[in-house]
Amino acid sequence: MSLIATRPGPGAARAYRFPQVVRRPAAGGQVVAAHLPGQNLAVALLLLDGGAGREPVGKEGLGAVLAKALEEGTAQRDATAYALAIEALGTELATGLDWDSFQVSVQVPVDRLTAAVELLAEAVRTPRLDPADVLRVRDDEATALRMDWANPGPRADAVLRAELFGAQHRWGRPLYGDPDSVAALEVDDVTVFHSEWFIRPGTLVVAGDLERIDLDALAATAFAGAGGGPAERGGPIDVPLAGQRRIILVDRPGSVQSTLRLGHPSPHRAHPDHVPMTLAGTVLGGAFTSRLNHLIREVRGYTYGIRGDFASSRRFGRFAVSSGVQTAVTAPALVESVGEISRTQLTGVSEEELEVARSWRAGQLSVELQSPRAIAAALSTLVVHDLPDDYHARLREQLLAATVEDVSAAAATYLHPESLTMVIEGDAAVIRDELVASGLGEVADHT
Amino acid sequence: MPDSGFPWPIETTRLDNGLRVVVSEDRTAPAVAVNLWYDVGSRHEPAGQTGFAHLFEHLMFEGSVNVAKTEHMKLIQGAGGSLNATTNPDRTNYFETVPAEHLELALWLEADRMGGLVPALTQQTLDNQRDVVKNERRQRYENVPYGDAWLRLLPLLYPPGHPYHHATIGSMADLNAADLATFQAFHSTYYAPNNAVLTVVGDTEAAEVFALADKYFGGLDARADIPAAPDGRTVPATGRPAVETVTADVPAPRVYVAHRTHPFGTEGYDVTTVLATVLGSGRGSRLYQRLADGERIAQPDLVGAYGVDLAHAPAPLIATATARPGVSAERLRDGLAEVVDELATVPVTAAELDRAKALLSTMWWRQMSTVDGRADTLGRYATQFGDPARAADRLPAWLAVTAEQIAEQAAELLGAADRVILTYLPEEN
Repeated sequence: MSLIATRPGPGAARAYRFPQVVRRPAAGGQVVAAHLPGQNLAVALLLLDGGAGREPVGKEGLGAVLAKALEEGTAQRDATAYALAIEALGTELATGLDWDSFQVSVQVPVDRLTAAVELLAEAVRTPRLDPADVLRVRDDEATALRMDWANPGPRADAVLRAELFGAQHRWGRPLYGDPDSVAALEVDDVTVFHSEWFIRPGTLVVAGDLERIDLDALAATAFAGAGGGPAERGGPIDVPLAGQRRIILVDRPGSVQSTLRLGHPSPHRAHPDHVPMTLAGTVLGGAFTSRLNHLIREVRGYTYGIRGDFASSRRFGRFAVSSGVQTAVTAPALVESVGEISRTQLTGVSEEELEVARSWRAGQLSVELQSPRAIAAALSTLVVHDLPDDYHARLREQLLAATVEDVSAAAATYLHPESLTMVIEGDAAVIRDELVASGLGEVADHT
Repeated sequence: MPDSGFPWPIETTRLDNGLRVVVSEDRTAPAVAVNLWYDVGSRHEPAGQTGFAHLFEHLMFEGSVNVAKTEHMKLIQGAGGSLNATTNPDRTNYFETVPAEHLELALWLEADRMGGLVPALTQQTLDNQRDVVKNERRQRYENVPYGDAWLRLLPLLYPPGHPYHHATIGSMADLNAADLATFQAFHSTYYAPNNAVLTVVGDTEAAEVFALADKYFGGLDARADIPAAPDGRTVPATGRPAVETVTADVPAPRVYVAHRTHPFGTEGYDVTTVLATVLGSGRGSRLYQRLADGERIAQPDLVGAYGVDLAHAPAPLIATATARPGVSAERLRDGLAEVVDELATVPVTAAELDRAKALLSTMWWRQMSTVDGRADTLGRYATQFGDPARAADRLPAWLAVTAEQIAEQAAELLGAADRVILTYLPEEN
């Protein structure tokens, strides 16, 4: 038995390249495509300016209900015929929603892409939206949310979001709404939202072997019958920090774990410090090897995992830490988590840690951007955030060039341990006294 | 119909110590996937040691002779890589995808923990990872509604003593009783080169990988007497359904119907795969059309059916539905059972069959669209069927399944006497 004791160094680095990007106006809309030579599978994604940020306050969940309603029949065929037609091509209609955009996509073997985009466009542009179907879909969605909200997490997330951003704003309410907001939606809400945001052409994103794909034909299909220009998207929102740290307790009687959600506001996506700020987040909580996971999981054994990161959309951002910890160690886990955030804010990052963080984030670009779906998502990022074709290559360079000074300065500037809102969803009767005794902040019960 | 589900080169070799090495070159992206399948899973665990294979998987990240505790993760992530490992009843797999220039690092790390884990394993590490795994159990199975369904289905499907009788996560009592010597013995017994398959896919070539494999793994000793898991191929029929009803803190009634089918990799299980897709995958499936859309007794997002791809015993087929508000568990159970029963009596149409095969084709090519997906697939076929090239057969085999075969299998295996029914009722009822 013999092992090689010496760790091998890296071989010659291979050049990084993002697939060739094609952008052009076509058929009244925009096409953005990536060439994946030899790839058997292709993805087409229609990106619409109809994200949750477009929903009126009090109508949270509108986009999610409309997404489901798109499949309840079209001008040409009923729901069953539509399901059979699209699934016969080997795809389902995938819908996605974030703060900035609404996405509808298909994923098929490349020779079926044209037929799949025809069905995608049929559902997006000409859904039947029969009132009885819309009401049933709404009720189903409300029920689905009630089911989801029976899990630990969604209630804590909603409380944290309302505390950070204010429930009087759309962005202070849950991305997909809550069971009550969805249950209160009316048929007109859905049809008006569709006519306002789903008829504009949008952007068609394509990832696949472009030698086997006719982009102009796809564009003509996707944008047929579309109309209306781009709408004003609004600038970054100034979100104030909390004046003091506080704990909000969400009761979950009998829970064997406590769900932790800690956070505070942070800059929007286009902020010039985006790269050093997110690297600080990576060192603190973004990777398995991060400070939080090392201490709370690998040293203490309090949890199966803990993560922290900066996340941002066009108009706002937030820093958040999330975990599930064993009930009996709720207070020490919280104290030590806040301790790591404070330490990172005060003393910054080390070169050793940053070396791992920057190499990891840079390497992930070649490791994770492989499948057509992943490439389509990367293209969508370019579109939503107005980024250039060589964004990923430049991002890689920026990550690798970030210094300890840059990242420590970002940690000092954008981490705010004294302004953390700490939402704890767990067995309140068991954990309240310890949380009060922790001295981390005033403890309030969520009602 | 494609002739092959794997149109990439495959080259293989076997080191003198028995380690099988599989390489598939693909220069599309500057990345390589490294994947180890060890032919050990929870089916090898004796009574009183449930959960040990999975807890052991955690220990493999905690350091070995030349790698300090937690350094494995740091080195792979510091190289820009992604990594993970999973344990199931059949096997344990470890995998990382790294920028191509770090291939040698990944092989060195894998060799060090294959050959040098035991001297580095400490009581402190075991205690820490035992706590982590107990938290994993709480998070994934105990603290979520219906989270323990799989834990309940397995003993209903497989009798005591069967290798699939217990779930991979194990019991809290067994995890608490785990001692260091048992884990040292576990590694010595199962983590031998002749019990593993090393697969590398991506920006490299076979000659390079074979030479590196020999350099790093070649010095490890084979183990002659690796004990087999209990044979589970035959599960005696009881002649009556196994029924369990649980009252728990759940938001709505839910029903699971499960059957034992065929082992993954057999022609029979290919029929099961297509049958499950016809039955419960997508809005065009029978369950969706009948229960979510037609009678509207099931919640649309929570209705479905799937096979669990296990290779060492008749694998489970599971169908599930959750009640719409106001619908009783009995009505839902009857509706679900009726749709399953009809697979034997109402022939699958050409359109249903085409739909299922189209969805399966996309699923297959999605798995093949990444180097890590391909590496895991090759490792599976090399481990379970002795030849990675057999991966190419799966998609054509699915596409060859007929409606008659589905009806025959439904009549033979999906009858009420062979049925497992698990029902959850909300506490308020």
